[in-house]
Amino acid sequence: MPSHDEERRSSGSSGRRLSRRSLLQGAATAGAAGLAVTAMGAANPALAATSRSAAPGLDPANTPAGPVVVHVRDARSGDIEVLSGTSATRLRDKDLAARIVRAIG
Amino acid sequence: MSSHREAPEISKDPVADSTDLYAFVSPDKSNTVTIIANYIPLQLPSGGPNFYEFGDDVLYAIHIDNNGDGRADISYHFRFHTTVRDGETFLYNTGPITALGDTTWNRFQTYDLSVTSGGSSTVLGTGLPCPPCNIGPLSTPGYAGLAAQAVSSVGGVTVFAGQRAEAFYVDLGSIFDLANLRPLANAHAFGSLTAGPGVNATNNFNVNSIAIQVPISAVTISGHPVIGVWTTASRQKARIFDRDTGDFVSAGPWEQVSRLGNPLVNEVLIGMGDKDRWNALPPHDDKEFLNYVTHPGLAGLLNVLYPGAFPNLAAAVTAGTARADLEAIFLTGIPAGVVNKTYTTFTGTVLADMLRLNTSVPPAGSPSILGILGGDVAGFPNGRRPADDVVTIELQALAGATLPLVDPTYKVDGVVKSVTDFKPDPPAIGSPPTGSFPYLGTPYSGYNEPS
Repeated sequence: MPSHDEERRSSGSSGRRLSRRSLLQGAATAGAAGLAVTAMGAANPALAATSRSAAPGLDPANTPAGPVVVHVRDARSGDIEVLSGTSATRLRDKDLAARIVRAIG
Repeated sequence: MSSHREAPEISKDPVADSTDLYAFVSPDKSNTVTIIANYIPLQLPSGGPNFYEFGDDVLYAIHIDNNGDGRADISYHFRFHTTVRDGETFLYNTGPITALGDTTWNRFQTYDLSVTSGGSSTVLGTGLPCPPCNIGPLSTPGYAGLAAQAVSSVGGVTVFAGQRAEAFYVDLGSIFDLANLRPLANAHAFGSLTAGPGVNATNNFNVNSIAIQVPISAVTISGHPVIGVWTTASRQKARIFDRDTGDFVSAGPWEQVSRLGNPLVNEVLIGMGDKDRWNALPPHDDKEFLNYVTHPGLAGLLNVLYPGAFPNLAAAVTAGTARADLEAIFLTGIPAGVVNKTYTTFTGTVLADMLRLNTSVPPAGSPSILGILGGDVAGFPNGRRPADDVVTIELQALAGATLPLVDPTYKVDGVVKSVTDFKPDPPAIGSPPTGSFPYLGTPYSGYNEPS
């Protein structure tokens, strides 16, 4: 378990790094991974439903056991934070942010 | 209150709301230090059927800085786990609970304890038992003995986590009614009420305590007998309600939502707009809050609320005097030579709100609840014991009682010794602190309180 200082630092790092690819894989297997998505501050079941379509190339061994929470902090800049387990990963991906926003629109 | 409901956000999250922190050389075991962190404020003892429990989704911690940098060198972490034996009944217990393993206790908690030091973490114990809440004489007969079963010894640490009686005493009603201290009520600017002895607003309430007792040698380093202590509660960054189960699920790193070192710092000194952020930051960032400590708003108000009673304090406030005495008490510790040649709680120049304890000072034979103001060097602000009257000590300090420590020319206003929320004596406490671990009194039972 992290020390107090380490707890703070863990906000910007990840025990298991989540790449854009793994995020998309996670989104694609929302049913198994229990994907939860927040965008613009609101969870949207429609996006989760959309994301259940396929799971190409997913490695079950690397699938998070708990929920994966995606927070689109700023859709215009593509600033995305992905929360899983006790880790957080910041991504900057305008395309992904746009897809998420379109999905909830 | 000491730190009960002290900031807007945490007041909505009582399970993670730290209320009081105590640290003292154990009076009955003077080679050890005891640290007690209380959570879940103002528990009405009869508040069932879902009685009070720690949050399974909260990371509770007690931190110790032993080299004066305001950073944790040793952290004890507590994670709780709740088990329900029979989900078909609404009852907390289905019969008397006489032992912690009784199956009549339907909803119970255990916890895991780990310690982080030197970059590595060690699990000290898993599945450690909590006692039940004190329900009443039929449900929890012989409660004191039942709670004693929940004292564990693991990895050189004696530990307890569970409900205890509130030890903190304060006249909340008067303090938050424009500091209308009852003993001085006849002198208040906004009314001429009759002076009175004070009302202990926290009497007959319970709290949930996390208490550890560790050898002094395990938490200090050579040549540095003063430790800085604080407690934190953290939640994972995201929390989502799952309608299918009716539960919340969490994800992400632990984020600190509550912090407590010295009593009343966030509650009374920090401004409303910064309280929530203060709770989220580590002590070593406290430099940015320095102005709140050195120019406390309450000091400026006293002479307004009690016109003419604090002329010297008012002059110091008007002159913009930076309260170096308060800076020392709360943020650096008091260097040797200020109170006397040997008294010190100084940890260094890093500004950090920590409850500082000089572990080389033995327990007092005849403790004074006024701590250093009462000539007792083993009491607050050298650590804090459960009976210490921290409200009076801090009110008098804010009113100027400690200013001569850094400015010998300052003359303390004559009224300062009368500044207290209780007079002539502190209030009787229904279940007072005890002389042995975990030191806080047996919690009030739901059957008897309120009565």
